[in-house]
Amino acid sequence: MRETAPLTLTSPWRAIGTIALFIASLSILVPLLLVIATSLKPAIEIHGGLPWPQAPTLGNYAAVFERIPLGLYLWNSAATTALRVGGQLVIALLAAYAFARFEFRGRDLLFALTLGAMMLPHSLTFLPTYLMISWLGWFDTWWGLIVPNLAAPVGVFLLRQHMLAFPRDLLDAAAIDGAGPWRALWLVILPNIQPALAAIGILLFIECWNEYFWPLIITESEAAMTVQIGIRRFLDAERGDELGPLMAGIVLVSLPAMAVFLWFQRRILETFVSAGLKG
Amino acid sequence: MSASLALGRAAAAARPRAGRRARRLLPWLLLSPLLVLLAAFTYWPLLHTIYLSVVDVRLFEPDRFVGLANYSGLFRSPSFNAAAWNTVLYIGLSLPLKVLLPIPLAVFVWCAAARMAALHRSILFVPTLLSFVVVAIVWIWMLNPVMGMAQSVLRPLGLQMPALLSNAATAIYTIIGVSAWKVIGFNALLYLAGLASIPRELIESMRLDGASDWRITRSLLLPLLSPTIYFVAITSVLFTVQQVFTPINIMTGGGPSNATTNLFYLAYEMAFESFNIGFASATALLLFVGLGTLAALKAWLLGRRVHYA
Repeated sequence: MRETAPLTLTSPWRAIGTIALFIASLSILVPLLLVIATSLKPAIEIHGGLPWPQAPTLGNYAAVFERIPLGLYLWNSAATTALRVGGQLVIALLAAYAFARFEFRGRDLLFALTLGAMMLPHSLTFLPTYLMISWLGWFDTWWGLIVPNLAAPVGVFLLRQHMLAFPRDLLDAAAIDGAGPWRALWLVILPNIQPALAAIGILLFIECWNEYFWPLIITESEAAMTVQIGIRRFLDAERGDELGPLMAGIVLVSLPAMAVFLWFQRRILETFVSAGLKG
Repeated sequence: MSASLALGRAAAAARPRAGRRARRLLPWLLLSPLLVLLAAFTYWPLLHTIYLSVVDVRLFEPDRFVGLANYSGLFRSPSFNAAAWNTVLYIGLSLPLKVLLPIPLAVFVWCAAARMAALHRSILFVPTLLSFVVVAIVWIWMLNPVMGMAQSVLRPLGLQMPALLSNAATAIYTIIGVSAWKVIGFNALLYLAGLASIPRELIESMRLDGASDWRITRSLLLPLLSPTIYFVAITSVLFTVQQVFTPINIMTGGGPSNATTNLFYLAYEMAFESFNIGFASATALLLFVGLGTLAALKAWLLGRRVHYA
Protein backbone atom coordinates (compact mmCIF):
# COMPACT_ATOMS: atom_id res chain seq x y z
CA MET A 1 0.00 0.00 0.00
CA ARG A 2 1.32 3.42 -0.94
CA GLU A 3 2.27 6.00 1.68
CA THR A 4 1.31 9.28 0.06
CA ALA A 5 -1.16 10.11 -2.65
CA PRO A 6 0.36 10.30 -6.13
CA LEU A 7 -1.38 13.54 -6.94
CA THR A 8 -2.00 16.25 -4.37
CA LEU A 9 -4.98 18.31 -5.40
CA THR A 10 -5.21 22.01 -4.75
CA SER A 11 -7.62 23.09 -2.05
CA PRO A 12 -10.98 23.67 -3.83
CA TRP A 13 -10.72 20.34 -5.63
CA ARG A 14 -9.59 18.55 -2.52
CA ALA A 15 -12.69 19.81 -0.68
CA ILE A 16 -14.96 18.85 -3.57
CA GLY A 17 -13.38 15.41 -3.69
CA THR A 18 -13.77 14.82 0.03
CA ILE A 19 -17.42 15.83 -0.09
CA ALA A 20 -18.15 13.78 -3.21
CA LEU A 21 -16.62 10.65 -1.72
CA PHE A 22 -18.40 11.25 1.55
CA ILE A 23 -21.76 11.49 -0.22
CA ALA A 24 -21.04 8.42 -2.37
CA SER A 25 -20.03 6.32 0.62
CA LEU A 26 -23.00 7.48 2.69
CA SER A 27 -25.42 6.75 -0.14
CA ILE A 28 -24.14 3.19 -0.04
CA LEU A 29 -23.86 2.74 3.72
CA VAL A 30 -27.04 4.45 4.97
CA PRO A 31 -29.59 2.19 3.19
CA LEU A 32 -27.67 -0.91 4.19
CA LEU A 33 -27.35 0.11 7.84
CA LEU A 34 -31.08 0.87 7.89
CA VAL A 35 -31.79 -2.62 6.55
CA ILE A 36 -29.65 -4.22 9.26
CA ALA A 37 -31.22 -2.01 11.96
CA THR A 38 -34.73 -2.89 10.77
CA SER A 39 -33.93 -6.59 10.73
CA LEU A 40 -33.15 -6.31 14.44
CA LYS A 41 -36.37 -4.49 15.37
CA PRO A 42 -39.23 -6.22 17.16
CA ALA A 43 -42.54 -6.06 15.26
CA ILE A 44 -43.99 -3.09 17.18
CA GLU A 45 -41.02 -0.87 16.31
CA ILE A 46 -40.99 -1.62 12.58
CA HIS A 47 -43.29 1.12 11.34
CA GLY A 48 -42.54 4.60 12.47
CA GLY A 49 -40.30 5.27 15.41
CA LEU A 50 -36.57 5.55 15.33
CA PRO A 51 -34.31 4.20 12.59
CA TRP A 52 -32.43 2.01 15.06
CA PRO A 53 -33.99 -0.68 17.30
CA GLN A 54 -34.84 0.20 20.91
CA ALA A 55 -35.03 -3.40 22.03
CA PRO A 56 -32.87 -5.32 19.51
CA THR A 57 -33.96 -8.89 18.85
CA LEU A 58 -32.97 -11.77 16.59
CA GLY A 59 -36.63 -12.82 16.37
CA ASN A 60 -36.89 -11.79 12.71
CA TYR A 61 -34.05 -14.13 11.82
CA ALA A 62 -35.87 -17.05 13.41
CA ALA A 63 -39.15 -15.95 11.82
CA VAL A 64 -37.81 -15.96 8.27
CA PHE A 65 -36.83 -19.63 8.62
CA GLU A 66 -40.37 -20.39 9.75
CA ARG A 67 -42.05 -18.44 6.99
CA ILE A 68 -40.07 -19.87 4.06
CA PRO A 69 -37.85 -22.96 3.70
CA LEU A 70 -34.77 -20.76 3.77
CA GLY A 71 -32.57 -23.60 4.99
CA LEU A 72 -33.41 -25.61 1.89
CA TYR A 73 -32.82 -22.61 -0.38
CA LEU A 74 -29.45 -22.00 1.27
CA TRP A 75 -28.51 -25.63 0.79
CA ASN A 76 -29.49 -25.54 -2.90
CA SER A 77 -27.53 -22.34 -3.45
CA ALA A 78 -24.46 -23.50 -1.51
CA ALA A 79 -24.29 -26.92 -3.15
CA THR A 80 -24.93 -25.79 -6.73
CA THR A 81 -22.56 -22.85 -6.33
CA ALA A 82 -19.78 -25.07 -4.96
CA LEU A 83 -20.23 -27.66 -7.72
CA ARG A 84 -20.51 -25.08 -10.45
CA VAL A 85 -17.53 -22.96 -9.38
CA GLY A 86 -15.41 -26.07 -8.81
CA GLY A 87 -16.25 -27.31 -12.30
CA GLN A 88 -15.69 -23.88 -13.84
CA LEU A 89 -12.22 -23.66 -12.30
CA VAL A 90 -11.11 -27.14 -13.39
CA ILE A 91 -12.39 -26.69 -16.93
CA ALA A 92 -10.92 -23.19 -17.21
CA LEU A 93 -7.57 -24.35 -15.81
CA LEU A 94 -7.23 -27.16 -18.35
CA ALA A 95 -8.29 -24.94 -21.25
CA ALA A 96 -6.00 -22.10 -20.19
CA TYR A 97 -3.10 -24.56 -19.98
CA ALA A 98 -3.80 -25.71 -23.54
CA PHE A 99 -4.03 -22.14 -24.85
CA ALA A 100 -0.96 -20.89 -22.99
CA ARG A 101 1.46 -23.79 -23.29
CA PHE A 102 0.71 -25.73 -26.49
CA GLU A 103 0.85 -24.99 -30.15
CA PHE A 104 -1.75 -26.59 -32.35
CA ARG A 105 -3.71 -25.80 -35.43
CA GLY A 106 -6.74 -23.57 -34.86
CA ARG A 107 -5.58 -22.37 -31.46
CA ASP A 108 -6.03 -18.69 -32.18
CA LEU A 109 -9.45 -19.20 -33.71
CA LEU A 110 -10.63 -21.24 -30.72
CA PHE A 111 -9.29 -18.64 -28.33
CA ALA A 112 -11.13 -15.94 -30.24
CA LEU A 113 -14.34 -17.99 -29.99
CA THR A 114 -13.78 -18.32 -26.24
CA LEU A 115 -13.38 -14.56 -25.88
CA GLY A 116 -16.39 -14.05 -28.13
CA ALA A 117 -18.51 -16.12 -25.77
CA MET A 118 -17.62 -13.61 -23.05
CA MET A 119 -19.20 -10.83 -25.11
CA LEU A 120 -22.40 -12.68 -26.02
CA PRO A 121 -25.18 -11.57 -23.69
CA HIS A 122 -27.47 -14.16 -22.10
CA SER A 123 -30.36 -12.44 -23.79
CA LEU A 124 -29.40 -14.03 -27.08
CA THR A 125 -29.01 -17.63 -25.95
CA PHE A 126 -31.39 -18.13 -23.03
CA LEU A 127 -34.34 -19.49 -24.98
CA PRO A 128 -32.64 -22.30 -26.92
CA THR A 129 -30.61 -23.18 -23.82
CA TYR A 130 -33.82 -23.40 -21.84
CA LEU A 131 -35.39 -25.61 -24.52
CA MET A 132 -32.34 -27.85 -24.52
CA ILE A 133 -32.33 -28.18 -20.73
CA SER A 134 -36.01 -29.13 -20.77
CA TRP A 135 -35.35 -31.65 -23.52
CA LEU A 136 -32.56 -33.19 -21.42
CA GLY A 137 -35.00 -33.50 -18.53
CA TRP A 138 -32.95 -31.11 -16.39
CA PHE A 139 -35.69 -28.54 -15.82
CA ASP A 140 -36.04 -27.77 -12.11
CA THR A 141 -32.95 -29.77 -11.14
CA TRP A 142 -29.46 -29.00 -9.92
CA TRP A 143 -28.17 -30.23 -13.29
CA GLY A 144 -30.06 -27.47 -15.05
CA LEU A 145 -28.58 -24.87 -12.70
CA ILE A 146 -25.01 -26.15 -13.00
CA VAL A 147 -24.21 -27.66 -16.39
CA PRO A 148 -25.08 -24.87 -18.86
CA ASN A 149 -22.88 -22.48 -16.88
CA LEU A 150 -19.79 -24.65 -16.48
CA ALA A 151 -17.79 -22.84 -19.14
CA ALA A 152 -16.31 -19.63 -17.71
CA PRO A 153 -14.53 -17.79 -20.55
CA VAL A 154 -13.43 -15.04 -18.16
CA GLY A 155 -11.64 -17.63 -16.06
CA VAL A 156 -9.96 -19.09 -19.13
CA PHE A 157 -8.80 -15.65 -20.19
CA LEU A 158 -7.41 -14.64 -16.79
CA LEU A 159 -5.70 -17.98 -16.09
CA ARG A 160 -4.12 -17.95 -19.53
CA GLN A 161 -2.69 -14.49 -18.80
CA HIS A 162 -1.17 -15.78 -15.58
CA MET A 163 0.28 -18.84 -17.30
CA LEU A 164 1.79 -16.76 -20.10
CA ALA A 165 3.52 -14.62 -17.49
CA PHE A 166 4.98 -17.76 -15.94
CA PRO A 167 8.78 -18.11 -16.45
CA ARG A 168 9.52 -20.50 -19.31
CA ASP A 169 12.83 -21.62 -17.77
CA LEU A 170 11.08 -23.28 -14.87
CA LEU A 171 8.97 -25.38 -17.20
CA ASP A 172 12.00 -26.28 -19.30
CA ALA A 173 13.81 -27.34 -16.16
CA ALA A 174 10.86 -29.52 -15.20
CA ALA A 175 10.84 -31.06 -18.70
CA ILE A 176 14.55 -31.88 -18.46
CA ASP A 177 13.91 -33.55 -15.15
CA GLY A 178 11.48 -35.77 -16.99
CA ALA A 179 8.21 -34.18 -15.93
CA GLY A 180 5.43 -34.70 -18.47
CA PRO A 181 2.83 -32.03 -19.20
CA TRP A 182 0.51 -33.28 -16.45
CA ARG A 183 3.21 -33.24 -13.81
CA ALA A 184 4.31 -29.79 -14.98
CA LEU A 185 0.76 -28.52 -14.61
CA TRP A 186 0.21 -30.15 -11.25
CA LEU A 187 3.59 -29.59 -9.60
CA VAL A 188 5.00 -26.46 -11.25
CA ILE A 189 2.18 -24.29 -12.57
CA LEU A 190 -0.62 -24.98 -10.13
CA PRO A 191 1.25 -24.07 -6.93
CA ASN A 192 2.37 -20.83 -8.54
CA ILE A 193 -0.98 -19.64 -9.84
CA GLN A 194 -2.91 -20.64 -6.75
CA PRO A 195 -3.51 -17.03 -5.63
CA ALA A 196 -4.99 -16.17 -9.02
CA LEU A 197 -7.07 -19.33 -9.01
CA ALA A 198 -8.45 -18.52 -5.58
CA ALA A 199 -9.32 -14.96 -6.55
CA ILE A 200 -11.07 -16.04 -9.76
CA GLY A 201 -12.92 -18.67 -7.75
CA ILE A 202 -14.18 -16.01 -5.37
CA LEU A 203 -15.40 -13.83 -8.23
CA LEU A 204 -17.20 -16.76 -9.83
CA PHE A 205 -18.68 -17.62 -6.44
CA ILE A 206 -20.13 -14.12 -6.00
CA GLU A 207 -21.51 -14.14 -9.54
CA CYS A 208 -23.14 -17.54 -9.09
CA TRP A 209 -24.50 -16.92 -5.60
CA ASN A 210 -26.16 -13.69 -6.72
CA GLU A 211 -27.53 -14.97 -10.02
CA TYR A 212 -31.20 -14.36 -10.65
CA PHE A 213 -32.25 -14.72 -14.27
CA TRP A 214 -31.23 -18.31 -14.96
CA PRO A 215 -32.54 -19.87 -11.70
CA LEU A 216 -35.73 -17.85 -12.22
CA ILE A 217 -36.52 -19.58 -15.49
CA ILE A 218 -35.02 -23.00 -14.80
CA THR A 219 -36.43 -23.79 -11.32
CA GLU A 220 -39.99 -23.99 -10.10
CA SER A 221 -40.07 -26.18 -7.00
CA GLU A 222 -38.48 -25.71 -3.61
CA ALA A 223 -36.27 -28.75 -4.22
CA ALA A 224 -34.15 -26.80 -6.70
CA MET A 225 -34.86 -23.16 -5.89
CA THR A 226 -31.92 -20.94 -4.91
CA VAL A 227 -31.92 -18.27 -2.19
CA GLN A 228 -32.30 -15.37 -4.58
CA ILE A 229 -35.51 -16.82 -5.99
CA GLY A 230 -36.70 -17.83 -2.52
CA ILE A 231 -36.29 -14.30 -1.16
CA ARG A 232 -38.04 -12.88 -4.19
CA ARG A 233 -41.00 -15.20 -3.60
CA PHE A 234 -41.09 -14.13 0.02
CA LEU A 235 -41.28 -10.51 -1.13
CA ASP A 236 -44.35 -11.39 -3.22
CA ALA A 237 -45.95 -13.38 -0.42
CA GLU A 238 -45.60 -10.87 2.40
CA ARG A 239 -48.00 -7.98 2.24
CA GLY A 240 -45.99 -5.38 4.06
CA ASP A 241 -46.68 -6.85 7.48
CA GLU A 242 -43.55 -8.97 7.56
CA LEU A 243 -40.93 -6.36 6.85
CA GLY A 244 -38.73 -7.50 9.74
CA PRO A 245 -38.35 -11.10 8.53
CA LEU A 246 -37.89 -9.87 4.94
CA MET A 247 -35.04 -7.60 6.00
CA ALA A 248 -33.53 -10.43 8.06
CA GLY A 249 -33.79 -12.61 4.95
CA ILE A 250 -31.90 -10.23 2.69
CA VAL A 251 -29.20 -9.80 5.33
CA LEU A 252 -28.79 -13.58 5.56
CA VAL A 253 -28.69 -13.97 1.78
CA SER A 254 -25.96 -11.33 1.53
CA LEU A 255 -23.79 -12.70 4.33
CA PRO A 256 -21.81 -15.36 2.42
CA ALA A 257 -20.49 -12.95 -0.21
CA MET A 258 -19.80 -10.36 2.49
CA ALA A 259 -17.92 -12.88 4.62
CA VAL A 260 -15.82 -14.04 1.69
CA PHE A 261 -15.08 -10.43 0.84
CA LEU A 262 -13.99 -9.49 4.36
CA TRP A 263 -11.82 -12.57 4.54
CA PHE A 264 -10.04 -12.03 1.22
CA GLN A 265 -10.57 -8.28 0.88
CA ARG A 266 -7.08 -7.39 -0.26
CA ARG A 267 -6.84 -10.15 -2.82
CA ILE A 268 -10.29 -9.63 -4.29
CA LEU A 269 -9.82 -5.91 -4.75
CA GLU A 270 -6.47 -6.52 -6.40
CA THR A 271 -7.76 -9.13 -8.82
CA PHE A 272 -11.02 -7.38 -9.59
CA VAL A 273 -9.08 -4.31 -10.12
CA SER A 274 -6.00 -5.56 -11.93
CA ALA A 275 -7.76 -8.04 -14.16
CA GLY A 276 -10.93 -6.12 -14.30
CA LEU A 277 -12.46 -7.83 -17.27
CA LYS A 278 -16.04 -8.36 -16.23
CA GLY A 279 -19.43 -7.32 -17.51
CA MET B 1 17.85 -19.94 -21.54
CA SER B 2 18.54 -21.05 -25.12
CA ALA B 3 20.73 -23.88 -23.87
CA SER B 4 17.97 -25.17 -21.61
CA LEU B 5 15.45 -24.84 -24.44
CA ALA B 6 17.70 -26.87 -26.76
CA LEU B 7 18.09 -29.52 -24.10
CA GLY B 8 14.35 -29.61 -23.56
CA ARG B 9 13.77 -30.08 -27.27
CA ALA B 10 16.37 -32.84 -27.40
CA ALA B 11 14.64 -34.58 -24.55
CA ALA B 12 11.30 -34.27 -26.32
CA ALA B 13 12.75 -35.61 -29.56
CA ALA B 14 14.17 -38.61 -27.78
CA ARG B 15 10.72 -39.69 -26.66
CA PRO B 16 9.07 -42.48 -28.63
CA ARG B 17 6.66 -41.73 -31.46
CA ALA B 18 3.55 -42.75 -29.58
CA GLY B 19 4.43 -40.24 -26.89
CA ARG B 20 4.63 -37.49 -29.50
CA ARG B 21 1.23 -38.32 -30.87
CA ALA B 22 -0.22 -38.31 -27.36
CA ARG B 23 1.40 -34.95 -26.88
CA ARG B 24 -0.20 -33.62 -30.05
CA LEU B 25 -3.59 -34.78 -28.89
CA LEU B 26 -3.13 -33.49 -25.38
CA PRO B 27 -4.18 -29.86 -25.98
CA TRP B 28 -7.39 -31.10 -27.59
CA LEU B 29 -8.04 -33.32 -24.62
CA LEU B 30 -7.47 -30.37 -22.28
CA LEU B 31 -9.75 -28.13 -24.32
CA SER B 32 -12.51 -30.62 -24.96
CA PRO B 33 -14.70 -29.87 -21.90
CA LEU B 34 -14.64 -26.13 -22.62
CA LEU B 35 -15.25 -26.58 -26.33
CA VAL B 36 -18.15 -28.99 -25.82
CA LEU B 37 -19.78 -26.62 -23.33
CA LEU B 38 -19.31 -23.53 -25.47
CA ALA B 39 -20.62 -25.35 -28.51
CA ALA B 40 -23.66 -26.69 -26.67
CA PHE B 41 -24.60 -23.71 -24.54
CA THR B 42 -23.31 -20.66 -26.41
CA TYR B 43 -22.80 -21.15 -30.11
CA TRP B 44 -25.49 -23.71 -30.86
CA PRO B 45 -28.14 -21.61 -29.06
CA LEU B 46 -26.97 -18.62 -31.09
CA LEU B 47 -27.74 -20.47 -34.33
CA HIS B 48 -30.92 -21.94 -32.90
CA THR B 49 -32.18 -18.45 -32.00
CA ILE B 50 -31.77 -17.39 -35.61
CA TYR B 51 -33.74 -20.45 -36.72
CA LEU B 52 -36.50 -19.96 -34.15
CA SER B 53 -36.95 -16.36 -35.23
CA VAL B 54 -38.04 -17.36 -38.73
CA VAL B 55 -40.38 -20.25 -37.89
CA ASP B 56 -43.71 -20.75 -36.21
CA VAL B 57 -43.20 -23.30 -33.43
CA ARG B 58 -46.21 -25.54 -32.81
CA LEU B 59 -46.81 -28.39 -30.43
CA PHE B 60 -47.18 -31.83 -32.06
CA GLU B 61 -46.58 -30.37 -35.51
CA PRO B 62 -43.41 -29.64 -37.48
CA ASP B 63 -42.21 -26.05 -37.36
CA ARG B 64 -43.50 -23.92 -40.17
CA PHE B 65 -41.18 -21.49 -41.96
CA VAL B 66 -42.70 -18.02 -41.86
CA GLY B 67 -39.85 -15.87 -43.19
CA LEU B 68 -39.74 -12.47 -41.60
CA ALA B 69 -43.35 -12.56 -40.37
CA ASN B 70 -42.23 -12.64 -36.73
CA TYR B 71 -40.19 -9.50 -37.30
CA SER B 72 -42.92 -7.58 -39.05
CA GLY B 73 -45.35 -8.67 -36.35
CA LEU B 74 -42.98 -7.20 -33.78
CA PHE B 75 -42.68 -3.86 -35.49
CA ARG B 76 -46.44 -3.50 -35.42
CA SER B 77 -46.75 -4.30 -31.73
CA PRO B 78 -46.92 -1.30 -29.38
CA SER B 79 -45.14 -3.12 -26.56
CA PHE B 80 -42.17 -3.76 -28.86
CA ASN B 81 -41.94 -0.11 -29.73
CA ALA B 82 -42.17 0.91 -26.08
CA ALA B 83 -39.50 -1.63 -25.14
CA ALA B 84 -37.21 -0.52 -27.96
CA TRP B 85 -37.46 3.11 -26.93
CA ASN B 86 -36.87 2.25 -23.27
CA THR B 87 -33.83 0.20 -24.26
CA VAL B 88 -32.37 3.28 -25.92
CA LEU B 89 -33.09 5.24 -22.74
CA TYR B 90 -31.52 2.62 -20.46
CA ILE B 91 -28.36 2.53 -22.53
CA GLY B 92 -28.26 6.26 -23.22
CA LEU B 93 -28.42 7.16 -19.54
CA SER B 94 -26.02 4.44 -18.51
CA LEU B 95 -23.27 6.26 -20.37
CA PRO B 96 -23.13 9.38 -18.16
CA LEU B 97 -24.11 7.53 -14.96
CA LYS B 98 -22.14 4.32 -15.17
CA VAL B 99 -19.24 5.27 -17.45
CA LEU B 100 -18.51 8.95 -16.76
CA LEU B 101 -19.55 9.52 -13.14
CA PRO B 102 -17.18 6.88 -11.73
CA ILE B 103 -14.18 8.64 -13.31
CA PRO B 104 -14.07 11.62 -10.91
CA LEU B 105 -14.88 9.28 -8.01
CA ALA B 106 -11.87 7.14 -8.91
CA VAL B 107 -9.63 10.19 -9.24
CA PHE B 108 -10.76 11.46 -5.84
CA VAL B 109 -10.11 8.09 -4.17
CA TRP B 110 -6.75 7.96 -5.88
CA CYS B 111 -5.83 11.40 -4.54
CA ALA B 112 -7.09 10.77 -1.01
CA ALA B 113 -4.79 9.91 1.87
CA ALA B 114 -4.02 6.19 2.04
CA ARG B 115 -6.36 5.28 4.89
CA MET B 116 -9.32 7.23 3.54
CA ALA B 117 -8.68 5.74 0.10
CA ALA B 118 -8.76 2.21 1.52
CA LEU B 119 -11.98 2.93 3.42
CA HIS B 120 -13.78 4.42 0.42
CA ARG B 121 -12.52 1.64 -1.83
CA SER B 122 -14.03 -1.00 0.42
CA ILE B 123 -17.34 0.83 0.74
CA LEU B 124 -17.58 1.39 -3.01
CA PHE B 125 -17.14 -2.33 -3.51
CA VAL B 126 -20.04 -3.34 -1.27
CA PRO B 127 -22.88 -2.97 -3.85
CA THR B 128 -20.92 -5.32 -6.15
CA LEU B 129 -21.21 -8.02 -3.49
CA LEU B 130 -24.95 -7.65 -3.07
CA SER B 131 -27.31 -9.40 -5.45
CA PHE B 132 -29.63 -7.35 -7.63
CA VAL B 133 -32.51 -9.06 -5.81
CA VAL B 134 -31.33 -7.66 -2.50
CA VAL B 135 -30.65 -4.24 -4.00
CA ALA B 136 -34.12 -4.14 -5.56
CA ILE B 137 -35.81 -5.09 -2.28
CA VAL B 138 -33.78 -2.50 -0.35
CA TRP B 139 -34.87 0.26 -2.71
CA ILE B 140 -38.49 -0.84 -2.92
CA TRP B 141 -38.58 -0.44 0.83
CA MET B 142 -36.63 2.82 0.89
CA LEU B 143 -38.88 4.40 -1.74
CA ASN B 144 -42.25 3.00 -0.67
CA PRO B 145 -44.55 6.05 -0.43
CA VAL B 146 -46.64 4.65 2.42
CA MET B 147 -44.27 2.88 4.76
CA GLY B 148 -40.83 3.33 3.26
CA MET B 149 -37.79 4.83 4.91
CA ALA B 150 -37.70 7.94 2.73
CA GLN B 151 -41.28 8.91 3.58
CA SER B 152 -40.60 8.63 7.31
CA VAL B 153 -37.97 11.32 6.82
CA LEU B 154 -40.13 13.47 4.55
CA ARG B 155 -43.42 13.32 6.43
CA PRO B 156 -42.26 15.15 9.57
CA LEU B 157 -41.11 17.92 7.20
CA GLY B 158 -44.64 18.14 5.80
CA LEU B 159 -43.64 16.61 2.47
CA GLN B 160 -45.30 13.76 0.64
CA MET B 161 -43.10 11.00 -0.76
CA PRO B 162 -44.00 10.57 -4.46
CA ALA B 163 -44.85 7.08 -5.68
CA LEU B 164 -41.85 6.85 -7.97
CA LEU B 165 -42.32 3.24 -9.05
CA SER B 166 -46.02 3.31 -9.88
CA ASN B 167 -45.78 6.50 -11.89
CA ALA B 168 -45.09 5.85 -15.59
CA ALA B 169 -43.11 9.08 -15.87
CA THR B 170 -40.63 8.32 -13.09
CA ALA B 171 -40.43 4.53 -12.83
CA ILE B 172 -37.79 4.02 -15.51
CA TYR B 173 -35.51 6.69 -14.05
CA THR B 174 -35.85 5.07 -10.64
CA ILE B 175 -34.72 1.75 -12.04
CA ILE B 176 -31.86 3.41 -13.90
CA GLY B 177 -30.82 5.10 -10.66
CA VAL B 178 -30.95 1.87 -8.67
CA SER B 179 -28.92 -0.04 -11.25
CA ALA B 180 -26.38 2.80 -11.36
CA TRP B 181 -26.13 2.66 -7.54
CA LYS B 182 -25.19 -0.99 -7.90
CA VAL B 183 -22.43 -0.63 -10.50
CA ILE B 184 -20.87 2.83 -10.05
CA GLY B 185 -18.51 1.62 -7.34
CA PHE B 186 -17.34 -1.33 -9.39
CA ASN B 187 -16.59 0.85 -12.40
CA ALA B 188 -14.79 3.36 -10.17
CA LEU B 189 -12.56 0.51 -8.99
CA LEU B 190 -11.78 -0.41 -12.59
CA TYR B 191 -10.70 3.17 -13.22
CA LEU B 192 -8.68 3.12 -10.01
CA ALA B 193 -6.75 0.17 -11.40
CA GLY B 194 -6.05 2.15 -14.56
CA LEU B 195 -4.86 5.11 -12.52
CA ALA B 196 -2.58 2.93 -10.38
CA SER B 197 -0.37 2.23 -13.37
CA ILE B 198 0.26 5.90 -14.16
CA PRO B 199 3.87 6.76 -13.34
CA ARG B 200 4.23 9.28 -10.56
CA GLU B 201 7.21 11.03 -12.19
CA LEU B 202 5.00 12.25 -15.02
CA ILE B 203 2.67 13.97 -12.59
CA GLU B 204 5.52 15.44 -10.56
CA SER B 205 7.21 16.87 -13.64
CA MET B 206 3.93 18.38 -14.84
CA ARG B 207 3.48 19.92 -11.42
CA LEU B 208 6.97 21.42 -11.56
CA ASP B 209 6.01 22.97 -14.88
CA GLY B 210 3.12 24.63 -13.06
CA ALA B 211 0.25 22.56 -14.47
CA SER B 212 -3.13 22.92 -12.75
CA ASP B 213 -5.24 20.01 -11.45
CA TRP B 214 -7.56 20.29 -14.39
CA ARG B 215 -4.71 20.34 -16.89
CA ILE B 216 -3.11 17.24 -15.34
CA THR B 217 -6.47 15.47 -15.43
CA ARG B 218 -7.26 16.43 -18.98
CA SER B 219 -3.94 15.94 -20.66
CA LEU B 220 -2.47 13.11 -18.59
CA LEU B 221 -5.01 11.14 -16.56
CA LEU B 222 -7.83 10.92 -19.09
CA PRO B 223 -5.64 9.90 -22.05
CA LEU B 224 -3.88 7.24 -19.96
CA LEU B 225 -7.25 6.06 -18.66
CA SER B 226 -8.80 5.85 -22.11
CA PRO B 227 -8.36 2.07 -22.61
CA THR B 228 -10.32 1.49 -19.40
CA ILE B 229 -12.99 4.02 -20.34
CA TYR B 230 -13.25 2.29 -23.70
CA PHE B 231 -13.68 -1.09 -22.03
CA VAL B 232 -16.28 0.16 -19.53
CA ALA B 233 -18.24 1.93 -22.27
CA ILE B 234 -18.40 -1.15 -24.50
CA THR B 235 -19.40 -3.52 -21.70
CA SER B 236 -22.00 -1.02 -20.46
CA VAL B 237 -23.61 -1.01 -23.89
CA LEU B 238 -23.62 -4.79 -24.09
CA PHE B 239 -24.72 -5.64 -20.57
CA THR B 240 -26.91 -2.80 -19.24
CA VAL B 241 -30.07 -4.22 -20.79
CA GLN B 242 -29.34 -7.53 -19.11
CA GLN B 243 -28.37 -5.98 -15.77
CA VAL B 244 -31.64 -4.11 -15.38
CA PHE B 245 -33.64 -7.32 -15.87
CA THR B 246 -33.70 -8.11 -12.16
CA PRO B 247 -34.73 -4.65 -10.92
CA ILE B 248 -37.42 -4.49 -13.62
CA ASN B 249 -38.70 -7.94 -12.74
CA ILE B 250 -38.83 -7.25 -9.02
CA MET B 251 -39.62 -3.54 -8.80
CA THR B 252 -42.11 -2.94 -11.61
CA GLY B 253 -42.63 -6.09 -13.70
CA GLY B 254 -42.12 -3.94 -16.80
CA GLY B 255 -44.99 -1.61 -15.97
CA PRO B 256 -46.78 0.65 -15.34
CA SER B 257 -48.14 0.16 -18.88
CA ASN B 258 -44.79 -0.88 -20.40
CA ALA B 259 -43.01 2.17 -19.02
CA THR B 260 -40.02 0.22 -17.72
CA THR B 261 -39.85 -2.84 -19.96
CA ASN B 262 -36.92 -3.29 -22.34
CA LEU B 263 -36.20 -5.64 -25.21
CA PHE B 264 -34.62 -8.32 -23.03
CA TYR B 265 -37.50 -8.18 -20.57
CA LEU B 266 -39.97 -8.28 -23.44
CA ALA B 267 -38.25 -11.35 -24.91
CA TYR B 268 -38.49 -13.02 -21.51
CA GLU B 269 -42.20 -12.22 -21.21
CA MET B 270 -42.94 -13.40 -24.72
CA ALA B 271 -41.12 -16.67 -24.08
CA PHE B 272 -42.41 -17.49 -20.61
CA GLU B 273 -45.70 -15.66 -20.27
CA SER B 274 -47.24 -15.58 -23.73
CA PHE B 275 -45.21 -18.60 -24.98
CA ASN B 276 -44.50 -16.95 -28.30
CA ILE B 277 -41.11 -18.43 -29.11
CA GLY B 278 -40.85 -16.87 -32.56
CA PHE B 279 -41.47 -13.34 -31.29
CA ALA B 280 -39.14 -13.84 -28.34
CA SER B 281 -36.31 -15.08 -30.58
CA ALA B 282 -36.80 -12.27 -33.09
CA THR B 283 -36.73 -9.72 -30.25
CA ALA B 284 -33.56 -11.20 -28.77
CA LEU B 285 -31.90 -11.20 -32.16
CA LEU B 286 -32.89 -7.63 -32.98
CA LEU B 287 -31.59 -6.57 -29.58
CA PHE B 288 -28.30 -8.29 -30.24
CA VAL B 289 -27.91 -6.76 -33.69
CA GLY B 290 -28.70 -3.34 -32.24
CA LEU B 291 -26.24 -3.72 -29.37
CA GLY B 292 -23.57 -5.13 -31.65
CA THR B 293 -23.93 -2.17 -34.01
CA LEU B 294 -23.87 0.28 -31.14
CA ALA B 295 -20.81 -1.34 -29.58
CA ALA B 296 -19.01 -1.40 -32.92
CA LEU B 297 -19.91 2.24 -33.51
CA LYS B 298 -18.67 3.17 -30.07
CA ALA B 299 -15.51 1.13 -30.56
CA TRP B 300 -14.86 2.99 -33.77
CA LEU B 301 -15.63 6.43 -32.34
CA LEU B 302 -13.71 5.96 -29.10
CA GLY B 303 -11.05 3.74 -30.59
CA ARG B 304 -9.60 6.64 -32.52
CA ARG B 305 -9.04 8.51 -29.29
CA VAL B 306 -7.67 5.68 -27.20
CA HIS B 307 -4.03 5.99 -26.21
CA TYR B 308 -2.29 2.80 -25.29
CA ALA B 309 0.61 3.62 -23.01
